[in-house]
Amino acid sequence: MKEGAGALVEGRDLHRAYVLGQARVPAVRGVSISIAPGEFVALQGPSGSGKTTLLNLLGLLDSPDSGQVVVDAKEADTLTEDERSDLRRDRFGFVFQTFNLIPVLTAEENVGYPLALKGVEGNARRDRARELLASVGLPDKAEVRPDLLSGGQRQRVAIARALANDPAVVFADEPTANLDSHTADEILELMRGINASRGVSFLFATHDPNVVRRARRVVTLHDGMIESDRAL
Amino acid sequence: MNAFALALRNLARQRRRSLLMIAVVTFGFAAFALAGGFVAQSFETLREGTIRTVGHLQAVDPRAVGRAEDVTLEFGIHDAHRARAVASQDPDVAAVLPRIEFVGLATNGSRSIPFLGVGVDPEPEAKATLAPEMLVKGKYLSGDGDDSVVLGTGLANALGVGVGGRITLLATTPDGSLNAVDGIVAGLVDVKIKELNDRYLAAGIGLVSRLVQSEDIVSKLVVFLKPRVDEAKVGERLKAALHAAGFPLAIQRWQDLAVFYGQVRLLYIGIFGFIGAVLVVIVILSAAIVMAMAVTERTREIGTLRALGTRPAGVRKMFLVEGVALALIGCAAGALLALIVRWVLNASGLTLPPPPGGTTGAPLNVKLYPLTYGVGFVAMLVTMTVAAYFPARRASRLPIVDALTHV
Repeated sequence: MKEGAGALVEGRDLHRAYVLGQARVPAVRGVSISIAPGEFVALQGPSGSGKTTLLNLLGLLDSPDSGQVVVDAKEADTLTEDERSDLRRDRFGFVFQTFNLIPVLTAEENVGYPLALKGVEGNARRDRARELLASVGLPDKAEVRPDLLSGGQRQRVAIARALANDPAVVFADEPTANLDSHTADEILELMRGINASRGVSFLFATHDPNVVRRARRVVTLHDGMIESDRAL
Repeated sequence: MNAFALALRNLARQRRRSLLMIAVVTFGFAAFALAGGFVAQSFETLREGTIRTVGHLQAVDPRAVGRAEDVTLEFGIHDAHRARAVASQDPDVAAVLPRIEFVGLATNGSRSIPFLGVGVDPEPEAKATLAPEMLVKGKYLSGDGDDSVVLGTGLANALGVGVGGRITLLATTPDGSLNAVDGIVAGLVDVKIKELNDRYLAAGIGLVSRLVQSEDIVSKLVVFLKPRVDEAKVGERLKAALHAAGFPLAIQRWQDLAVFYGQVRLLYIGIFGFIGAVLVVIVILSAAIVMAMAVTERTREIGTLRALGTRPAGVRKMFLVEGVALALIGCAAGALLALIVRWVLNASGLTLPPPPGGTTGAPLNVKLYPLTYGVGFVAMLVTMTVAAYFPARRASRLPIVDALTHV
C-alpha cells in the first residue's frame, strides 16, 4: 500500500538530510509510503540507504525537512511535542536493535512503563505486564532486571513493552541484529504471531534476510529513495 | 513505580557519584546548620546582653535624642517618681528603672580620673540588668541611700583603689557649679568593653542626686518588658500614657540605642552570608556536574523514554526528582552530622575570643535552632533543584534520534 485511505501511518514526499561536518548528506529523498492495519513490512536496503531514517520519521522520532507524516489522519507537523509523545505512547510501539530496556527496572516494570505513562495504576498495570511477559514466553522473568537476561530474553521484554498500550504499529529497527540466528528466528516468529493474532502492524528496518523472507511486503530503499515496493 | 523510587534506583546505579554528591550536600547542610546555630546563638546572647543593659525601651526628653547635654541633667525628666509610676502601670511592663547619666572626676586624693557615671536604683537594677553578673570583686550596690559606688576594673586600677577604698567624686550640677561627695568602693565590675571599663562608675541614685544636687530629676527611664510582648506597641502605649500624664517624652527602642549590636549583627550576617553563598555555589557546581554527567551517561535511556512516549516534562521531572532525592538524603545525613558535631563542640569546653572591643570571651555554645535547620533544608532543596534543572532541561530537549544513537 503506497498511499491511500485507511492508512495508519503515511509519509508523503519525505525528505531528510543530515549535516556531517561541512557536508549535507541526504538520507531520505522524496519518499512516500503508507502502512495499513495488519501489515508486516520490511524496509530493506544497503547501509546508508535511509531505512532507519524513514523508520524514525514515520515513528515520529524525527521530523522531516520537508514532506508530511500523517498518523490517524493527523498531520504530524501540526502537533505539539506533547501530542507527538502521546501519539507514540498510544499508537506506536518500538523495538530497538540494542533492546533499550531501562536497566534499573525489572522486566515487569519495563513492560509496565508505557502503561504507567498512560496512567494505568498498580495492580492493573502489574497484571497487564505479566500477561504480556507470558505472551512472549517469559512468565517467570517478571522480577528479573535486564542485565540478568539473555539477548533473546531482553528482546522479548522489549516486544512485550512495545505491545503494552495495544499499539497500531510496532516499529522495529534491526531487531535481530544482536541475536544469534536461532534466537532471531524465535523473535521473528513471535512478532509474526503477534501480527497475526492481534492485527498489529509491524514495520522493520532490516538487513536480515530472515526478516525479509517473513515479510508480506518488502520496501527496498536505495540512496534515500524507494527502489521497489513489493507485496509478497 | 513512582518517580521518587525510580530516582533512588538511578542514584543507586551511579553509587559512587551519588555518594559524592550526598557528601557535598551533607557537609554543606551541616556547615550551614552549625554556622547558623552559632550565629543565631551569638545574636541572641548579644541581644539579651544589650537589652539587659539598655532595657527594651527608654523614655527620654525629646531634646536628648541624638544630642549630648551641655550641663548635667539639662534634658532631665522632672517629677521622675510620678513619671516612673505612670510607666509602671502598663500591664506589659516588668520594671521601670530611673537612671541619671553624668560625667565627672574621681579622685583618690592624689590622682583624678574622668569617669562616665550612672546613678541607679540598686535593687531593681540588680534584678533586671547584667550589673551583678559583671561583678568581679566585692558586691553590687545594695541600697539607695548609702555612699557605695561600683567601679569598672580599669578605672579602679587607674585610681589604685580596691573594694572598701574611699574616693571623692566631683561633678557639675545643673546650674553649672561644681560639687563633690565621698564614696566607698563596694565592688569592681568588668563591663566587657575595655574603653568603658576604664571609665565606668555606678552609684545609687540618692548619692548621685546629692552629687549633682538635683531633686527627683533623672536622665531617663529605662523600661523592661515582660516576655514576648510587642515592643513597638507597648512603646506607643507608654508614650501616649506619659503624654497624657504631662510628660511629653520620646520613646526609644533598644535597637535604636544599641549601635554596637547593629554593627556586630551586620558583620555576622555578612560573614555568614558569604559562607552561605560559597556553600551554595559549591553545591550548585557539584550538583550541576553530577547531573550533567548523569544526563550524558543516560542519553540513550532518555531517547528510549522519549520514544516510548515520555513527554519532555516527564524527563525533566525525572532528573529534578533525583536532585531532590539527593537533597533529602544529604540533608538528613547533614542534620545528623550537625547534631553530632554540635554535641562534640559544646562538650569540648572551647572558649571563643572576645568580640570586637570586648575584654572576655564566651564559652562556645552552638545551640540547636530548628529554624537554621529548616532554612538549610530549604536552601539545599532549592539549590539542588536549580542545579538539576538545567541538565534536566537539556535532557528533555535532546533530539530523540540523536539520543538513541548516542554512544
